[in-house]
Amino acid sequence: MQTRVNTSVATSKSSKLWRNILLHKYLYLMLLPCLLFFIIFSYIPMTGLILAFKEFKFNQGILGSPWVGFKYFERFFNDYQSTMLIKNTLIISCMKLFIGLPFPIILALMFNEVKNRYFRNIAQSISYLPHFLSWVVVVGLTQRLLAPDNGLLNQMISFFGGDGSTFYMMEPHFFYQIMFGSHIWKSIGWDSIIYLAAIAGINPDMYEAAKMDGASRWKEMWHITLPSIKPTILILFILSLGNILSAGFDQLYLLRTPGNMHLAEILDTYVIRVGLQGGQYGYATAVGLMQGVIGLILVVAANRISKKVSDTSLW
Amino acid sequence: MLRNKTWFKVLSIPLMASMLLMGCSGNDTSTQSNDNTPNDTVNVAKDPAKPATWIADRKVKGLVFMGTDDYTEDMNAEIKAKLKELTGIDLEIEIMVADHSIDGLIAGLASNDLPDFVTFYLNNSGRPEMPVVLKAAREEMFTDLTPLMKDTKIYSKYLEDEYLPLDTKYGVMFRPEFNGSSYFVHMNVARQGGYATRKYAGGPYIRKDIAEALNIDPRTINTTEKLYDLAKKIKAGNFKDKNGKDVVPIGPSYWGGKEVGALFNDLEWGSSDQRIYKGKDGNILHESQTEFALKKVEYVQKLLNEKLLHPEFFTIDESRATEGALNETWGIIGDTHNYQEYNRDMHYLPLGPIDAVDHPYQMQVNYKSGYSAWAIPATTKDPQDIMKLADFLASREGKLLWQYGLEGRDYTLDGKGNPLAKKEILDLKQSNPDEAKKLGFAGVSNYWGELLGGTDIDRMADFGEMEYGDAVAPEVNAGALKIADYWGWDEKRKNASIVDGYTPLSFIGDFEHGTELKAAFENYDDSLIRAYYAKNTVEAKKILDSASKQLEATGLPSFLELLKQKDADPKTHLKF
Repeated sequence: MQTRVNTSVATSKSSKLWRNILLHKYLYLMLLPCLLFFIIFSYIPMTGLILAFKEFKFNQGILGSPWVGFKYFERFFNDYQSTMLIKNTLIISCMKLFIGLPFPIILALMFNEVKNRYFRNIAQSISYLPHFLSWVVVVGLTQRLLAPDNGLLNQMISFFGGDGSTFYMMEPHFFYQIMFGSHIWKSIGWDSIIYLAAIAGINPDMYEAAKMDGASRWKEMWHITLPSIKPTILILFILSLGNILSAGFDQLYLLRTPGNMHLAEILDTYVIRVGLQGGQYGYATAVGLMQGVIGLILVVAANRISKKVSDTSLW
Repeated sequence: MLRNKTWFKVLSIPLMASMLLMGCSGNDTSTQSNDNTPNDTVNVAKDPAKPATWIADRKVKGLVFMGTDDYTEDMNAEIKAKLKELTGIDLEIEIMVADHSIDGLIAGLASNDLPDFVTFYLNNSGRPEMPVVLKAAREEMFTDLTPLMKDTKIYSKYLEDEYLPLDTKYGVMFRPEFNGSSYFVHMNVARQGGYATRKYAGGPYIRKDIAEALNIDPRTINTTEKLYDLAKKIKAGNFKDKNGKDVVPIGPSYWGGKEVGALFNDLEWGSSDQRIYKGKDGNILHESQTEFALKKVEYVQKLLNEKLLHPEFFTIDESRATEGALNETWGIIGDTHNYQEYNRDMHYLPLGPIDAVDHPYQMQVNYKSGYSAWAIPATTKDPQDIMKLADFLASREGKLLWQYGLEGRDYTLDGKGNPLAKKEILDLKQSNPDEAKKLGFAGVSNYWGELLGGTDIDRMADFGEMEYGDAVAPEVNAGALKIADYWGWDEKRKNASIVDGYTPLSFIGDFEHGTELKAAFENYDDSLIRAYYAKNTVEAKKILDSASKQLEATGLPSFLELLKQKDADPKTHLKF
């Protein structure tokens, strides 16, 4: 009797779902390309992850190649470079993640405070532009600006009577500043868009009420704007935790010089150099899988913590 | 709880669906033909209506895993038609575009969907492509070419003793593990040992006006100490470049920042891309195990501190390096050669050469050497057609077509039957190289024929000239030859040592911890440059010691022991 009730509940749920889909068929149709995109470009390639446990043979393909267990993971952790690679990757991505987090928020808050609409539009457009430049161009510019003797910075130092011969790109103690500075310059404008959109969604009545209560602009920002965009900040932070072991291949590959190589060599550059250029697909996949799994664990954990602490979460 | 289950379903259902899709797609190898039996079309050659060069009426597609700077997929329609008329083959070439040619090669092989033949870079068995194609050959991706070579005119020479250089024979093609089979053909092999098509004089060059002003014969600068003194004199001379800016005494290579072995030769333990050398006592050592690493660091630091060497000598980008050479900003260009367009008027003169680390300079000429290679995938039908096509393209008749174009349109024949390039073609090549390239032959820089036909090289014997157009317009290379004369190329060539062997790093793939050691070698190269820029010698020594320790830890001593064994074997001995 109980089983029959359960079955009929399930059937009615299923038919309700189909009725619902039929009712909103156009919305579901619009969703279809997006689903296809993720299936084709994200889920099907994900099956290639089994290569991390296989020795890839050209003539046997991914599925036919023999299993090798955890051989590649073992090899990676036995490599004398593995500690350095993980350390460098974590330092760089943590800098980008934690130190870099407030910069676009501050910019968005600043844009929000600019009252001249014309000036704000121009300033916003200029700040978005670097996002559209490739890292090749950005690093090329950086190299020219920081070149010894005839770079702009060194020329300015010489002009003011200093020693204008510092080779910044070769000096390891300037590496983090150059890396972080170029990253912020390129991404700050674009990353601020989402916070600006969140700010635009704040109810203006709250500001009006605050004004009537005599709140200053600073207090408005501190007590209305920031708390209102806190869920957006948290969500973006949780999502970016997934990339903690991907510190940004293009930038680091291009900024790397013999002088800073012990700081700039990261997991992404290692995967390309040893794994792909050396034809060791399995090994490259194993390192890539490790990056992904750690990222996923961090996202899930951060999401749980965030849900408990602030009631803001991805799911 | 329910929300977690839903989340699990949402994630797992598409994953399972995609796994199912992948599983059903399988791998196509089973459906592809691996039939190497001759096709009836071959017998058409016996048809009196067909030319003697006829192979088969078919389409042949080739995939090139090399850069578009070196090769082109655009064939001229008339030349393509002529090839069809002579051989019956309709040739199509496609270049696989990739950031690095090796990435394209790996992706192409992994896709398991290759056309009739593939070509790739392979200077020697130490090149990064070698382990990739070797893996493919071991996994039966390619056709055995040895039986196909037997009945050919040109490629059958590859089966003769003494024809191939050691590395090509035992390192690339007829590796002992293959028991007589061969899976790729190494190209660019000269017909005669020690053959040179050009009189190259490469290395550092000094501005002629500076050498004259300082009253110095650049050819007498044969040690790094003399080079240092010369650089100091250039600095003291306050010379200016074309824009009125101060000249940098020693500038980078014309092609951008890199280590230039020729500039610091008496401090280089082995060539700068190997750093392994056999000393006079017969011991094979890596540079890190000698005193020369630190000596070189001290020397370079001295040059950098006194602003005699461009600060970005090792890292500058190509455009700025070339700009400096064209603007005459470099008093000495770190590395260039005599066939460069900008120096036809000889306003830069060759410097040195600098002596070697343990003996005076002596030119070293390879007995023979290879460049690219090609292979026929195991899935290609009638692979003997491809071999015959390659053999035709490597013959004199084939070479005439892909090197000189069409008789009447592009060249005429002299009394001895040698081609004379048309003056208007040479003029077009000079004035509009891109338009000239469309004519579709190697003389105008369209190298499609070189892919399968660029071997058994002896241009003088085949066409009566060392380079395309020499017989008609010797002035094109006059500047280069004048520089070669000034440098004493002929004399140096007469006294040259002709070597046949393997570069030490060719055996890195044979070494158990090759991947780790290769990474340690790269780390050493970077550390050396880092040491140049260290604050003092103590810091530099620390950097070098750390890199040396890594080399030792990843098995350098065992690798050197392996090299010793290889060197003792006449089939695998080394060249330094």
